[in-house]
Amino acid sequence: MFEPLSKIPGGMRYYFGAEARLRRAVENAVMSVFDGWSYEEIATPSVDYYALFERGMGHAEAHRAFRFTDTDGRMLALRPDVTSSVARAAATLFAERTRPLRFCYAASVFRQLPRTHAEWRRQSRQLGCELIGAGSGEADMEVLAMAVEVLERLGLAGVYRITLNCVGVFNGVAEQLALDGAARERMRQLIDTRDAAELERFIEGCASANTTDGLAARLTRLTGKRETLEEARALMTSARSAAALDALEKLWGVIESLGLSEAFEIDLADVSGLDYYTGLVFKIYVAGAGARVGGGGRYDELTANFGRREPAVGFVLDLDALTDLLARGNNFEPDGVPQLQAAMVEGSSEAGAFQDARRRRARGEKIRLGTRAE
Amino acid sequence: MLTIALAKGRMQDAALGLLKRAGIRVSDEALASRRLAIEDESGRYRFIFVKPADVPVYVEHGIADCGVVGRDVLLEAGADLLQPLDLGINRCRIAVAALSEARKNDSGMLHVATKYPRVAAAHFGARGVPVEIIELSGSVELAPVLGLADCIVDLVETGRTLKENGLAVVETITESTGRLVVNRASYQLKAAEVSELIEKLSKAVAEERAKA
Repeated sequence: MFEPLSKIPGGMRYYFGAEARLRRAVENAVMSVFDGWSYEEIATPSVDYYALFERGMGHAEAHRAFRFTDTDGRMLALRPDVTSSVARAAATLFAERTRPLRFCYAASVFRQLPRTHAEWRRQSRQLGCELIGAGSGEADMEVLAMAVEVLERLGLAGVYRITLNCVGVFNGVAEQLALDGAARERMRQLIDTRDAAELERFIEGCASANTTDGLAARLTRLTGKRETLEEARALMTSARSAAALDALEKLWGVIESLGLSEAFEIDLADVSGLDYYTGLVFKIYVAGAGARVGGGGRYDELTANFGRREPAVGFVLDLDALTDLLARGNNFEPDGVPQLQAAMVEGSSEAGAFQDARRRRARGEKIRLGTRAE
Repeated sequence: MLTIALAKGRMQDAALGLLKRAGIRVSDEALASRRLAIEDESGRYRFIFVKPADVPVYVEHGIADCGVVGRDVLLEAGADLLQPLDLGINRCRIAVAALSEARKNDSGMLHVATKYPRVAAAHFGARGVPVEIIELSGSVELAPVLGLADCIVDLVETGRTLKENGLAVVETITESTGRLVVNRASYQLKAAEVSELIEKLSKAVAEERAKA
């Protein structure tokens, strides 16, 4: 079939003009916050072995990558994620370094298959950070505090919300109901979509249903502030859930004392990405964006894939989603050098014009040469 | 203000009835007008009327915070949405139907005509039956009659249309009712308004159920 060369592949786009400048400014602002917390920038390979991502992200997510083969027949992928690669580096390149390691990055990731209809982009730029080798609640709070600073720095104070959960809460419930793998995944989906009606039918069909009166209806609604934890404690009997709720309560205490409880919400029904995360999970929403603009959590099992098991926590922000959002509002005032008006530089002789141009540039002026268009 | 996308057509009246019972009223003048976006009497809700298949699209993109649409449409769309409430309206089922006097098909391949290609493919796929899905946009019942397909996968309410065309339900794939769907971001960012709506509607649903 004849395809005009002017056609752009689905999910790809250009950035230019004000939007490109804004996107650059947002990236710089976020990276400078990461730098302010002593996160060291790391650039990872754009192309890597598919097996790395399959191990790092799980099959279902890695499967979405653009894949192709290397000259020796091994499968490569255009990176669909940065974290896998950072985790490998931590276990290998940085094996000898003192812990904790702090890394940040701004990198484009590529996904051939979209996860949802609304997610049309196949290339998106991730701004992310990873704190590796620290497993405490303090480490969790460190990345949350950075996320808060980033959002405030982008002029989004008051219009963002970060939801918190801990995977142990759900895993404990699955234990409590003695679910096998398939049933666990089915229940996870139903809670994730808050489908109380189907969940009720599902739990009725479980063998141990008699012990869980009222659990179904309320599992999908466990969203709110501190009181949510109390409500959950009354419903959940397993030690695993209880430990997870304790961890969340401790974290919530710190959030309250920082005066940030308005910006945060406990959402025990947020159970996406459970196979990847091992502790805290969080998602970042901003008013005006129809989907989340970022998220993260604790992934203590990831580095074990590369021969060294150690705790890790981190998050990513979607630069393209943030740019879209900020381009529509005008909350964000990038600081630094103001946009200078360009001085036209023309000269009688070519050399004269360039002499003048170089002089002005050396003074830091913004210039535009009077080059004639054809 | 919450923006709610309502599926035009069969579900619209039932949805508006349920909303009215929940204390959310849309004036008759507003309904009679040809405007596609109207507000309720309190001015706290804005309704947009769109084709059923477009409800998940508007809600997934966050243009509408919530929507009312059939489970059949949601299964087919595969949209990433929250569906916190079964509204119990427009109860029907997605079923496989074939000619009552089935013709023998020896080709080792089942030809299925449907408006629900995803649902049909998933259903037969789970059983390892090789199928050719023939996507149609209406009058699906004609396909087996005219020999385009061996069977159909379609929405069945009373079964009358099937019967009149000499078809009978072979098996039910799943039940479908109207659902309240919510955008993931709105669910967090407009948590108070959304949970108030869910609360009001679930009361209305319980009342309807008690009445029936």
